[in-house]
Amino acid sequence: MSTITLHDTHNNGHHDDHDHGHHEQSFITKYVFSQDHKMIAKQFLITGIVMAVIAMGLSILFRIQLAWPDKSFPILETFLGKWAEGGRIKPDFYLALVTIHGTIMVFFVLTAGLSGTFSNLLIPLQLGVRDMASPFMNMLSYWFFFTACIIMMSSFFIQTGPASAGWTIYPPLSALPKAIPGSGLGMTLWLASMVLFVVSQLMGGINYVSTVLNMRTKGMDLWKMPLTIWAFFLTAILGVLSFPVLVAGVVLLIFDRSFGTSFYLSDIVMGSQVLPNEGGSPILWEHLFWFLGHPEVYIVIMPALGISSEVISVNSRKPIFGYHAMVYSLIGITVLSFIVWGHHMFVTGMNPLLGGVFMITTLIIAVPSAVKTFNYLATLWRGNIRFTPAMLCAIGMVSFFISGGLTGIFLGNASLDINLHDTYFVVAHFHLVMGSAAIFGMLAGVYHWYPKMFGTMMNAKLGYLHFWVTFICAYLVFFPLHFLGLDGVPRRYYAFTEFEFMQKWVTVNIFVTWSAIVAALAQVAFLFNFFYSIFFGKKATQNPWESNTLEWTTPVEHIHGNWPGEIPTVHRWPYDYSKPGAEQDFIPQTVPYSETMLSNMPHDFEGNAESERIQREWDAKNAPEKADVHFH
Amino acid sequence: MEQELPPSLKAKKFILWLFVVSSTIMFGGFTSFYIVFAASKGKGHGLVLPDVFMYSTAVLVLSSICLFFAAKAVRNQNVQTQKIFLSATLVLGLVFAWLQIDAWSALYQTGATLVNNNAAISLIYIVSGMHLLHIVAGLCFIAISLFGAFSNVPAQKAVYRIEIASIFWHFIDILWIYLYVFLLLNS
Ligand code: HEM
Ligand SMILES: [Cu+2]
Repeated sequence: MSTITLHDTHNNGHHDDHDHGHHEQSFITKYVFSQDHKMIAKQFLITGIVMAVIAMGLSILFRIQLAWPDKSFPILETFLGKWAEGGRIKPDFYLALVTIHGTIMVFFVLTAGLSGTFSNLLIPLQLGVRDMASPFMNMLSYWFFFTACIIMMSSFFIQTGPASAGWTIYPPLSALPKAIPGSGLGMTLWLASMVLFVVSQLMGGINYVSTVLNMRTKGMDLWKMPLTIWAFFLTAILGVLSFPVLVAGVVLLIFDRSFGTSFYLSDIVMGSQVLPNEGGSPILWEHLFWFLGHPEVYIVIMPALGISSEVISVNSRKPIFGYHAMVYSLIGITVLSFIVWGHHMFVTGMNPLLGGVFMITTLIIAVPSAVKTFNYLATLWRGNIRFTPAMLCAIGMVSFFISGGLTGIFLGNASLDINLHDTYFVVAHFHLVMGSAAIFGMLAGVYHWYPKMFGTMMNAKLGYLHFWVTFICAYLVFFPLHFLGLDGVPRRYYAFTEFEFMQKWVTVNIFVTWSAIVAALAQVAFLFNFFYSIFFGKKATQNPWESNTLEWTTPVEHIHGNWPGEIPTVHRWPYDYSKPGAEQDFIPQTVPYSETMLSNMPHDFEGNAESERIQREWDAKNAPEKADVHFH
Repeated sequence: MEQELPPSLKAKKFILWLFVVSSTIMFGGFTSFYIVFAASKGKGHGLVLPDVFMYSTAVLVLSSICLFFAAKAVRNQNVQTQKIFLSATLVLGLVFAWLQIDAWSALYQTGATLVNNNAAISLIYIVSGMHLLHIVAGLCFIAISLFGAFSNVPAQKAVYRIEIASIFWHFIDILWIYLYVFLLLNS
């Protein structure tokens, strides 16, 4: 839609096809069982934040164990009871902590919390839609997620403790209820929780895809969508295509656990008892798990990439560099992420030829990742940068994506991975590239769209404090872990003092733990800022960041249906920042070309001859110098 | 008379298609498991599948045909024919479910039990069982459509309901044929 509409019909408030926003809602339908995507987004966000705080608390607990394996902290016993008898965390509980920390962070915070919040908030708002394709399913999606959270947390209140087989729950630890304490009821709860979680993600993801494909406002063709939406859209597709495989794997696992089948089990002796299971193989689980598991890491990072694109472009006051390349690299990542899962299994006795294939596909995925990175940097380059807290977090995201992505290239080489697999090097890799990068992307989103969500502004000074402390501490925590890994220190080991060759790393562990504690304290600044500003923050203006996208054309006061009048029509792409000749340094997507004759460029019309002719005549009359430049 | 669905219903119909896709992938997960398992062990389930599976397959195909005629009747606003064919679909669906359970007992009697040291045999139960869950959901869709026929819902809604039911039912029909042929070929 790039014609010059000389008599434009873009007058809001004429009539209303839906008459949304005028009917009264009860407390229950407005705040609890809400079907409004904006409220559901906030529910996902706040649940995600609560889960993140819990998971961070767990990590501090096991970091204490790693730093001071022989010291007793009586206070731990006060809180944890028999799991920290004598003030020392027990080995079983240590494994439970690691497992639940990973599960919550990967699935509940960075999958549901991130996509759930921003896909829900922005897909309708940035595409000009009144609500999701199925608001009811959207509501169910949240409540399934909520129930999953409750079930996962409930495993801390049972006798045998939570699941302890790691977030990837490899059998046999996950398949034999008697293997370790966490394999019992805790594992059952883990599986129940994850089944609900997957249902929630599928309902959400299917809804997002359908909304993006079917319900965009007039003029919003796919190539006018903001990169946020592209990212959420492709993320949802990834989820819809990969989560079902996890379901398949989990169904088989449940049968192994509860009915005695042998999908993943063979030749097992427990104590003095020989188990009857025969013929299965845990490697089959690894295949099914990582077929989801690898796309899952991109499900985590792609929304963060999309959010960063938007935030960086807005705050550099420049069009995003290489919009099409950004989209194609997202598509490339989406496709490639289905054929690289074997890189998690190089040392399972995989046929070296197959390992070679997975190595090549893995290294190819670095190409679209690098394209994105360079495009961010090129967008920043000579931009008119506004260092808002959101912008800092987005730049931080890019930084972590680079420093963590580089180590992926090491790990992706099968021969190097033989040394590095299951060491702290892997832990460092994914905490930088996935953990830190995605968290910073999410924080960028929170700082940036907070005014849209709550109608108030967060305090910028607290934002800076939060950013800098977290950013520095995240590097201090994760960077040293590379060296442990290079020295061969395995992950998930309980006490460094028990192994001669690991003892020298205890001092590093102490340093890392202190950094983690400082990072955790810095989150208080964020939490205070977040909750305080909801009630007492400065009132937001309609378009506080002077941004082009549609969400900023909605009123600050939320209404069900988003726009009081007609839904706006879209006339241009979302990245017209600092366009030469324009009156301001931004031109919202709703402004037709007929109102910006002075700044229009020939390529704006995408080959529409009639519009080009009108523009040429106008230029000849009103701006001869421009006609000279562009139309020869 | 063709009825155009409004965009919101179109988007909802699209949701069902996406569900079909994800469900297909889940079964793809099961059959991939089977292939990798069979390749690494050099053996499949090694059974002659019970004949009941053949009958159940025929019944399911027949039910799909009935549903096809029911959908046609809805579009022609022929409520009577619609009721007959929808009821037939429903009954055939139930018969299918019963035959599947019968097939399990036939398998069980030959010693090919669910709990088995050949995971390929266990997997027969799993895929047919998961498929049966889909049948239950499909029967619900058909029941809703049938209920609509009896309570005279507006034409547009009737079309929407039968389209939903058709997409899903034909999908699980084809899915079962795929699974059956897969199990026949990879014995
Ligand atoms: C340049 C691109 C990347 C390459 C080549 C790469 C390669 C690898 C390889 C080979 C491993 C397996 C290491 C092992 O277990 O021995 C691995 C682990 C991992 N990667 Fe990456 N990676 C890349 C980017 C990413 C991104 C973008 C994310 C997430 C956003 C990510 C998340 C993870 C996670 C979570 C693990 C560890 C899973 C576990 O074992 O618990 N990686 N990566
Ligand atoms: Cu991977």
